[in-house]
Amino acid sequence: MPTPLIDVDRCKGCELCVFACPERVLEMSPNINAKGYFFPDVARVEDCTGCRYCLLVCPDTAVQVENKGKTTVRTDGLTETPTTYCPGCTHGVIHRLVGEVIAEMGVRQQTVGVAPVGCSVLAYDFFNCDMQQASHGRAMAVATGIKRGRPDLVVFTYQGDGDLASIGMAETVHAANRGEKITVIFVNNAIYGMTGGQMAPTTLPGQIATTCPTGRDVALAGYPIRVVEMLATLRTPAYLARVSVHEPKAIMNAKKAIRKAFKFQIDKTCFSLIEVVSTCPTGWGQQPHEACEWLEEHMLPYFPLGDVKAPEAAH
Amino acid sequence: MHNELILAGFGGQGVLLIGKLLAYAGMKAGLEVTWMPAYGPEMRGGTCNCTVVLSDRQVGSPVTNRPHGAIVLNLQSIDKFEPLVRPGGILVVNTSLINRPAVRTDLIVVPVAANQIALEAGSAKAANMVALGAFLGASGVVSPDLVRDVLAETFAGRQKIVQLNQVCLSKGFEIGQAYAPAMAGR
Amino acid sequence: MAKKLMKGCEAIGEAAIQCGCRLFFGYPITPQNEIPEYMSARMPQVGGVFVQAESEVAASNMLYGAAGAGRRCFTSSSSPGISLMQEGISYLAGAELPVVIVNIMRAGPGLGGILPSQSDYLQATKGGGHGDYRVLVLAPSTVQEAADLTMEAFDLADKYRNPVMILGDGLIGQMMEPVEFKRRIEPEDLPEKPWATTGAVGRGPNIVNSLYLRAEDLEQHNLALGAKYRAMEAEVRHETYRTDDDPDVLIVAYGTVARIARTSIDNLREKGLKVGLFRPVTLFPYPAAALAAAAARAKHVLVAELSMGQMVEDVRAVVAGRVPVDFFGRCGGMVMTAEELAEQAEKLLAVPA
Repeated sequence: MPTPLIDVDRCKGCELCVFACPERVLEMSPNINAKGYFFPDVARVEDCTGCRYCLLVCPDTAVQVENKGKTTVRTDGLTETPTTYCPGCTHGVIHRLVGEVIAEMGVRQQTVGVAPVGCSVLAYDFFNCDMQQASHGRAMAVATGIKRGRPDLVVFTYQGDGDLASIGMAETVHAANRGEKITVIFVNNAIYGMTGGQMAPTTLPGQIATTCPTGRDVALAGYPIRVVEMLATLRTPAYLARVSVHEPKAIMNAKKAIRKAFKFQIDKTCFSLIEVVSTCPTGWGQQPHEACEWLEEHMLPYFPLGDVKAPEAAH
Repeated sequence: MHNELILAGFGGQGVLLIGKLLAYAGMKAGLEVTWMPAYGPEMRGGTCNCTVVLSDRQVGSPVTNRPHGAIVLNLQSIDKFEPLVRPGGILVVNTSLINRPAVRTDLIVVPVAANQIALEAGSAKAANMVALGAFLGASGVVSPDLVRDVLAETFAGRQKIVQLNQVCLSKGFEIGQAYAPAMAGR
Repeated sequence: MAKKLMKGCEAIGEAAIQCGCRLFFGYPITPQNEIPEYMSARMPQVGGVFVQAESEVAASNMLYGAAGAGRRCFTSSSSPGISLMQEGISYLAGAELPVVIVNIMRAGPGLGGILPSQSDYLQATKGGGHGDYRVLVLAPSTVQEAADLTMEAFDLADKYRNPVMILGDGLIGQMMEPVEFKRRIEPEDLPEKPWATTGAVGRGPNIVNSLYLRAEDLEQHNLALGAKYRAMEAEVRHETYRTDDDPDVLIVAYGTVARIARTSIDNLREKGLKVGLFRPVTLFPYPAAALAAAAARAKHVLVAELSMGQMVEDVRAVVAGRVPVDFFGRCGGMVMTAEELAEQAEKLLAVPA
């Protein structure tokens, strides 16, 4: 009989698994864990179908699933260190996807990641591979240096919207235009998370942020930048795609795109950038599951999902 | 022995090149040498110059405003550098492009129709070599043989160019030599 | 290898190649364009990498990546570009990454001009960017030295895991002089850097980082860096000229001005005046002890710079009032003549000390 297994002490009580479970197997416990968070109880194990949606949406790798005598295991693409992200922040999901991809592709020991400035500044503590910490916006310049110095390495950057699309836009455009054989994971949550919810280059029209308290005024701040579409105008071949992590199926698609992006690098085909539309429950002032709904309702119409550009060789 | 020289003309006349050849030849002669191009605002307007210092001791400043000699290939250059040359110094004047005589009477002025001579030898492009030859003839700072060697090395495999330049250098040298006795005792 | 006539910029580029550097990242700016131009032609010949970065900011961060991956790498720029690189330099110092940065100084502030200057002395020797750090600074005075010190810079960078700056000016960069490359190191002969991000094979992940969120940790890091900078004092280097007879006037100058001063000194000596030169070769660490000793035997110290007076602050700190310290500078791209400088020294001798 399939069973979700909850690592109670990794849990931050975001409830995303509770909402994701199609069979309502999970329920929040009245008890708190060592960190002081409520955690999910497996309330109706008999209803579990083993779909792993709970595992997929968990940002903290706190859920594994046992089924037919086999238990899923946490990827060794990530370190044991719990992330420092807020409860329900989908950064954790994206970390897991990247960690799983480099581990499953067998390249973990030849991978160097580049951490940005922003919420994921401490990413070097979470990815179980060599890491460099870059200054704000320069991750792709740092990655260029690593890759040109050691072309045999697999190099990825992990950047937010302020880092990549604001202060680092020049580095972004030029790394893409040079066709650096690197993989960029671009986390777009439409806000500056770490500094406390200021307007980002991807903040939606009318969306409230601490530096646009009445909502983004496009007459003053312009429209949110669609990064992958903009980069797609460059002639240099690239793999550019937008994915999301607001629900299990989207997360599965996101992983496929990330895998493809690494494959294009490993095959020395092209630059690749995956824009991951993501939530910031704290910055948005929403519950984690509400943030996922808000993302679907407001962000996806503006930031449509799918491959935006693929290298010619792929067709 | 210490010589600070300015070589000046239009961009494209090859003043930087003859400066380099002179410096290279000086190096082969065992001298301390520097070659310094003017790269600042004075380059605007299409003029061009460089300073070459040849010395038997470590070279101090690689630039000078009191050269021991100058090669001027166009009018702007004679206007600018004639007043700076130290008394008794050599001024090689390209009379093909400079339609006024030198004003200074305390200099050894070597007039040479560099463009015409080079044209007769095969190409006006080698006018710079005629002027350099004239300077070597008058000053004796380095042997023209060394410059010929350097030319052969610099344009290795381009025999025609080497030949033309060597011929022009020699023609200039002969003209310059006529002014050399005045240099005695320098 | 036979002597070749080369521009300072080209000699620096060739020296980098001769000592095993195969990565250059840079952005064009006068008067050092000959370096990126040279590297763009030379690097492919030796299997190296030349990247024209989109900006100096990017170039300095490309260095960070390449150095973090354990490779010898360098960049070059001129004053305004070096200002833009300060972000990267601070991070390089914080993450203790060995790189070589060449600054062929031009006159400022702002866009200033493209002519020679020494007005980045304070920026170079006091850190330059944010945070408590120093870079080793070497100031060549000839093209041969530009080559030699560039090669040493790579070794010092590796030895101390610290950025090293070659501080030259437009004259050093643009001038041609005979140069000889005295040794050649192949990249594969360079020692491994076990801390570098080369892939976590048979070990835990290596992390290249300058972030320390706990004040206690950062203080420890700062203290360790401070100790390292003190240890660098073993590298101080200077040169003297005609100081054996304890000259009355000691001219203190570095780089281009030091060579101009030699001419001034020769001319003054011919007149029977006792003048000598103290030339710091390392600007950080500063040859303080040697200068203090030399200055103590002089009646006057005259600091000459192509600036409004920057190194003079260090000289005054070293001399500490024991001997009067005068300053003579030209700036804006104006280069002092040997005569001008000699005149300044002569004036000092005319006044009783």
